[in-house]
Amino acid sequence: MILVGELALWVALLMAAWCATVSFAGGKLQRADLIASGERAAYATGVLVIVASAGLLTAILTHDFSLKYVASFTSTNLPTVYLIASFWGGQAGSLLFWTLILAVFTGITVFGNRARNRVLMPYVTGTLGVLLLFFLATICFSSSPYERLDWIPAEGRGMNPQLQNPGMAIHPPNLYFGFVATHIPFAFVIAALITRQLDSDWLAAVRRWALLSWLFLTVGIVLGMWWAYVELGWGGYWAWDPVENSSLLPWLTQTAFLHSVMIQEKRGMLRKWNVTLVAASFLLAILGTFITRSGVISSVHAFATSDIGNWFLTFLVVAIAVSAYLVTTRLRDLEAKAHLESMVSREAAFLYNNVALVGIAFSVLWGTLFPILSEAVKGEKITVGQPFFNAVNIPLGLFLLALTGIGPLIAWRRASVANLRRQFVIPVATGVVAGVLLLALGMRDGYALVAYVLAFFVAGTIAQEFARGTRARRSMYGEGIGAALFRLVARNRRRYGGYIVHAGIVLMFAAFAGMAFRKVHGDVRLGPGETFRASDPYGREWTFTNQGISEFKALNREVSAVSLATTMDGRPQGLMKSEKRQHVDSRGAPTFEPSTEVGIATTAKQDVYVVLAGIVGDNVASLSITFNPLVIWVWVGGALMAIGGLIVMWPLADRRRAQSGYIATLRPEPLPSAAT
Amino acid sequence: MGDHSPRIGTSRRVFLANLGIGALGVLIPTAVRAQSRQPAQTMSGPMRGEAYIRVSLPERTGVTPKVSLEQRDDLEKHLKCQCGCPLDIYTCRTTDFACPVSPKVHADIQTLIASGYSEAEIRDAFVAAYGERVLTAPKPQGFNLLAYVAPFAAIASFGAFAAWIIHRWRKEPPVDADAFARIPQAGGTADELARLDAAVRNDDR
Repeated sequence: MILVGELALWVALLMAAWCATVSFAGGKLQRADLIASGERAAYATGVLVIVASAGLLTAILTHDFSLKYVASFTSTNLPTVYLIASFWGGQAGSLLFWTLILAVFTGITVFGNRARNRVLMPYVTGTLGVLLLFFLATICFSSSPYERLDWIPAEGRGMNPQLQNPGMAIHPPNLYFGFVATHIPFAFVIAALITRQLDSDWLAAVRRWALLSWLFLTVGIVLGMWWAYVELGWGGYWAWDPVENSSLLPWLTQTAFLHSVMIQEKRGMLRKWNVTLVAASFLLAILGTFITRSGVISSVHAFATSDIGNWFLTFLVVAIAVSAYLVTTRLRDLEAKAHLESMVSREAAFLYNNVALVGIAFSVLWGTLFPILSEAVKGEKITVGQPFFNAVNIPLGLFLLALTGIGPLIAWRRASVANLRRQFVIPVATGVVAGVLLLALGMRDGYALVAYVLAFFVAGTIAQEFARGTRARRSMYGEGIGAALFRLVARNRRRYGGYIVHAGIVLMFAAFAGMAFRKVHGDVRLGPGETFRASDPYGREWTFTNQGISEFKALNREVSAVSLATTMDGRPQGLMKSEKRQHVDSRGAPTFEPSTEVGIATTAKQDVYVVLAGIVGDNVASLSITFNPLVIWVWVGGALMAIGGLIVMWPLADRRRAQSGYIATLRPEPLPSAAT
Repeated sequence: MGDHSPRIGTSRRVFLANLGIGALGVLIPTAVRAQSRQPAQTMSGPMRGEAYIRVSLPERTGVTPKVSLEQRDDLEKHLKCQCGCPLDIYTCRTTDFACPVSPKVHADIQTLIASGYSEAEIRDAFVAAYGERVLTAPKPQGFNLLAYVAPFAAIASFGAFAAWIIHRWRKEPPVDADAFARIPQAGGTADELARLDAAVRNDDR
């Protein structure tokens, strides 16, 4: 199976080359036979990549340590779920996984458009063929998971313990799905630019893929935050690490596109901008991959260094050059069909939203790459960490949050004073009342206060929209509240799904602001029976009493665990446990550095977060105890965003939707018999 | 009005292309050079114990420490651990005893505080020993100011560009304003609708 898999990889490389060549030739020469051949080659490439992936998975599951990849990332005592996860846990395997997703997406795209977008499709197939060719060539010539060892070790090195977490098993695939889904809109944009078919057809084909990409990236990013929070043990969920940033960048541009595309659909505006955003999302996904895999910037998440970075850098430069050439030579074809009539309109609000989103993307990219620039100019690589990103991005994020509330309240084309008054009174009052209450309660952190005022304002806008829509349905159709609310969303999925996404954003911002009040107690040392007292951000008194340290073996690790009996204001809150784990191989030899298993007690108000930093002296536990306010709302907000995204994507919403422009209803043509 | 000659002429395109090529010419060699110099930290790899550099200043006796515990923790939160993790010294040392760097740095800081040095003096001593990379964020001075200013400058430029475009749009009618103006009246008279019907059907054939 391994030999078959490796062979399939090489044949897939040739097939992708054929697919790209004949598809472009078919499109240029208008030869249906070449176009059909290219599409068949796309399917064949997909099948071959599936066979190659099955070969690697078989090698992993059967512990074939003759493969360097299998020996490097797995061991015989690794649980099956992490054996499967090791497929994308290393450099070469993750590249094959990426290619597998791309090959499947390519097949779906070609099949789904077999009767649609026929002018574009040869170039779409050709572009996807080029992308497949690049990834397959990178695998075959630079980073093959089928590389053999000179000898066969009895045991593999195993998987990094920090990756042995359910979140890590599903977080990378989500990100990969999100990254790869940016390739399909990019292929359509390239095809539309080549053929100059730049009307709304390509938009319809692209929007759902862009949404899919956004949805996967959202889920992947939130799962990554959750993994960092529960696994890494430093008490936060976002550290502005370069690799974290690289997943955020295409998410930001995709979010901008999903807003600005509405302006193009409704008003025929921002056509150049939308083309640029789609291309930018793809290029940022590739840039992120370059950052993750090249070693150009240090990151705790980075893969091992290899020459793969040169491949990605070259590809990135070529892709930027081709995109820039095509866009700049098609500027006249991309002229707007209409113009903005007022600075106070829905279109203008979306434009400001795009300025904020792209601005944040730029600042994240700038901060991520600044160490390289600094090294080039000053000869010294500096650190651009959390304080920098917070200083720059918090004001921009708050501006964006404000626009999240303002945008949906303003009418298209031109808002009147009466419209503004009617729409804004309740949300603004909600925000102001919340602000006054929080001030009265003693909140003095400026950013947090602004964040909560804006969060309540946006929540007010969302509640108002749902309330008005539900009320309208009830009066029109006499429906009950539940039925009216359900049908309101079901009949306007795009609009109300979007509001649900906004509600998720509001919850996340509220939770982020809560971290301004976190209380950290580091370096707490507790012997058996000793108690540590601390007050949480709400002023409640907590006690933590060391119940002793236990040591035991479990699965593929040796564990030291501390148990703490906790009380809050004198009331027992149960036991909390934190572990230090030393993973071992099948012969009991230690592998990797010791890892931490965090103890977390979650409520709606806060997480109590206990980390066993180490054991000193005679069974004395060294602990870090942190009160993290409102963390659960980050995960709830993320889930709401995903649910909202799914509602927006639901197909019926699009089919019922009229195309932008006008609707011409054709009268049935009289039958010949009726005419005579 | 109505003149749709290319607004972005060849010269501007050439200028932009040259600008892009120039930027790539600078960035690519830099990135390649950086890539060859900087090995990536891997989660599966060992931490870099050798990254620790002892920081010391002349010992002072009979002095009262000027730095409180809170100020010490704050100082540690602004110094980056060099073990390869993305954390600051305080977070790293209170999270994992396995780190070969942060506990030693903490000990150095304790010694310097006991010798009566101020936060600023200690921070400067670390910068002198490790270079600016030891700070979690660059000092906003000199070339580093660019890091802080550029994002806001870019957004301001982008905003100004958008405002200029909007201003220009508002002075000019839409490219095909007439066509769009007709859209709401697409219902038209029965005769017009019949002609539209016929025309569309004809197009379909």
